Amino acid sequence: MKSLLGKYSNSSMTLVMLGIFVVMVAIASRYPAEARFMPFVVGIPAILLCLLQLALDARARHRPPASADSPSDLERAQATASQIVGHQVELGASGTTEPQLSPAETVHRELVLWGYFLGFIAGIVLFGFWVAIPLFLVSFLRFQAKVGWRTALLLGVGASVALFLVFERGLKVQVHSGFVTSFVLDHLSR
Amino acid sequence: MIEVMFGSLWAMLTSPQTMGLMLIAVLLGLIVGVTPGIGGRLSIALAIPFVFGMQMIPGAVFLLTMHAVNGTSGQISSIMFGVPGDGDDAATTIDGYPMAKKGEAGRALGASITASGFGGIVGACVFAVMIPILEPVVLAFSPAEFFLLALLGITFIAFIAGGENIFRGLIVGFFGVMLATIGTDPYTGTPRFAGDYLFLWDGLSLVTAVLALFAVPEMIALGVQGGSISAVSRETARFSYRQLFEGVLEVPRHWWLALRTSIIGAVIGMIPGLGSSAAAWFCYGHAVQTSPNPERFGKGAVEGVIAPETGSNAREGGALLPTLFFGVPASSGMAVLLGAFLILGIQPGPKMLTDQLPLVWTLIWALVVGNLIAITFLLFICRWAAMLTFVNGAMLVPFIVVVVALGAYVAEGQWENLLILVGLSIVGYGLLRAGWPRAPFVIGLVLGKIAEESLHKAMELWGLAFFLRPLSLVLIGLIVLTIAYAVYRNMRPSKALADLRIVQ
Repeated sequence: MKSLLGKYSNSSMTLVMLGIFVVMVAIASRYPAEARFMPFVVGIPAILLCLLQLALDARARHRPPASADSPSDLERAQATASQIVGHQVELGASGTTEPQLSPAETVHRELVLWGYFLGFIAGIVLFGFWVAIPLFLVSFLRFQAKVGWRTALLLGVGASVALFLVFERGLKVQVHSGFVTSFVLDHLSR
Repeated sequence: MIEVMFGSLWAMLTSPQTMGLMLIAVLLGLIVGVTPGIGGRLSIALAIPFVFGMQMIPGAVFLLTMHAVNGTSGQISSIMFGVPGDGDDAATTIDGYPMAKKGEAGRALGASITASGFGGIVGACVFAVMIPILEPVVLAFSPAEFFLLALLGITFIAFIAGGENIFRGLIVGFFGVMLATIGTDPYTGTPRFAGDYLFLWDGLSLVTAVLALFAVPEMIALGVQGGSISAVSRETARFSYRQLFEGVLEVPRHWWLALRTSIIGAVIGMIPGLGSSAAAWFCYGHAVQTSPNPERFGKGAVEGVIAPETGSNAREGGALLPTLFFGVPASSGMAVLLGAFLILGIQPGPKMLTDQLPLVWTLIWALVVGNLIAITFLLFICRWAAMLTFVNGAMLVPFIVVVVALGAYVAEGQWENLLILVGLSIVGYGLLRAGWPRAPFVIGLVLGKIAEESLHKAMELWGLAFFLRPLSLVLIGLIVLTIAYAVYRNMRPSKALADLRIVQ
């Protein structure tokens, strides 16, 4: 399944893009001629490019797979440097690279981080910035960055206060107060 | 001209607001440059919300200074710990790190910081010299050419960012242009792709889109990767201020090399499509080729530190030229900067030479003064700034995500932008994961409105015959040649060019 996903991942992106362009061109076709002109000028060539890209992806799938030992950015830089100076050059100190994550671990971490991000945005929409920010910062620092409770609270609350002073007091920006928070505050004030 | 030139400098130096913002920008730019996980492009995107509503000149000076000094501090970790932050810094590492290992870290840092600042100043001078030369060319451009320039800009960025596959870059660029059409059509008043959602009638928020495509995916990736960029010992490099001063003197000692590589860097910067690391590598190669003792390179030759640093920083001055006068950003960093300039109300194009010349000169002076301040700051603090290399990436993520969310909201004051942020972040992360370029999206989004306006004007003036104008034919030829070369390269990849693109 994983290899299948890897094999078709580039095509998936092309298909997503193709879908977006097809839908947008279809919607634009209902607009008056002048309004749909630009979406057509952009959308139709983009659809053709996506189809061409799909063909290239299909062609690439029939090629032999690239070597697992394909050079990293650093190795390529080393090769370039060695070529220029005419002798072997070592770039970077030993032990400078992080250990490679397994695909499963990568996906797990991605899901956790997306969870934090979506939770934070949902928190802002429902409870407002000044409730969501300290909660997000403290929980992320404590459970994701693995710092102690004291440091997490100090950094999380400190940064929230600093941002509140900059935006609300300094820049006089009235930020979103959250639907639930507004509802509760309205009820309490009645 | 002379009056405008020095009038702009005087106005800038005597404005406490502009100078105060410049100092903050230098400090932030230097910190961002040395901190892992935050590139110059991302730092500009994050700074956009803070300049929103600011006056044009202080806002532009703040952003440009921050962007310009970014690379000056980037080489610290390359020299002290052998950890190159990006492609430009990798070239500096070849000789910088061996110098540090020989106990000459201070000399290498002194030379690299001074060379970087010198390059930045020469780059600004090259830009200034080019103004009278380019003026008749820029003023000869009509709406037809500006439409084609927008297409050329997307093609160039697709070429550098798309790697061996230019079509992916073009698709992403067209996606940006398509999203730029969201909002009320200026000719018929039809709300395109906006339906009844009033917040979309003014168009998609550029700030939100840039933050979603760049900041959020980068932060998720940094969080997944975790840890600091380096596991090397903090005691690797020895350092002394005496050595640092000796290093500073190496630049005047090698002034001819520094001047040559600065000019090469600035010229490379003017050519959209020649990747961020190309200037550094070209200049390094030039230093090796012109040295009477090329065998010293790679073992701690100070010229190997001076050449890439002058070249990569001089590039910023050169890159500003196509960005400001043609609206074609020379790099993805310049694309984000261009987007920020548009938000501040700066309209790139020929009017920059006629109506906005004082602003152009202010930006040139900002490059010069910003680099001078950066050198002074960094020579004092580089020893401690190096420690920022060890900041844990996972610690930075939540703070940047918070700034991103605030930025997306503050830009328009609409909570719905947070939903747009989520939607486009998913697309952005998909692009990152699939190895698709994201820079063409920003160019497309930024140039979309200009392209549409120019296309309509060109069609009204000449109809389809605008494609046959001589300048149009030249631009069409360039677009076709770029695509054809990319396809050729895809079929027969050239190792040398692939290596030059090391890290975008």
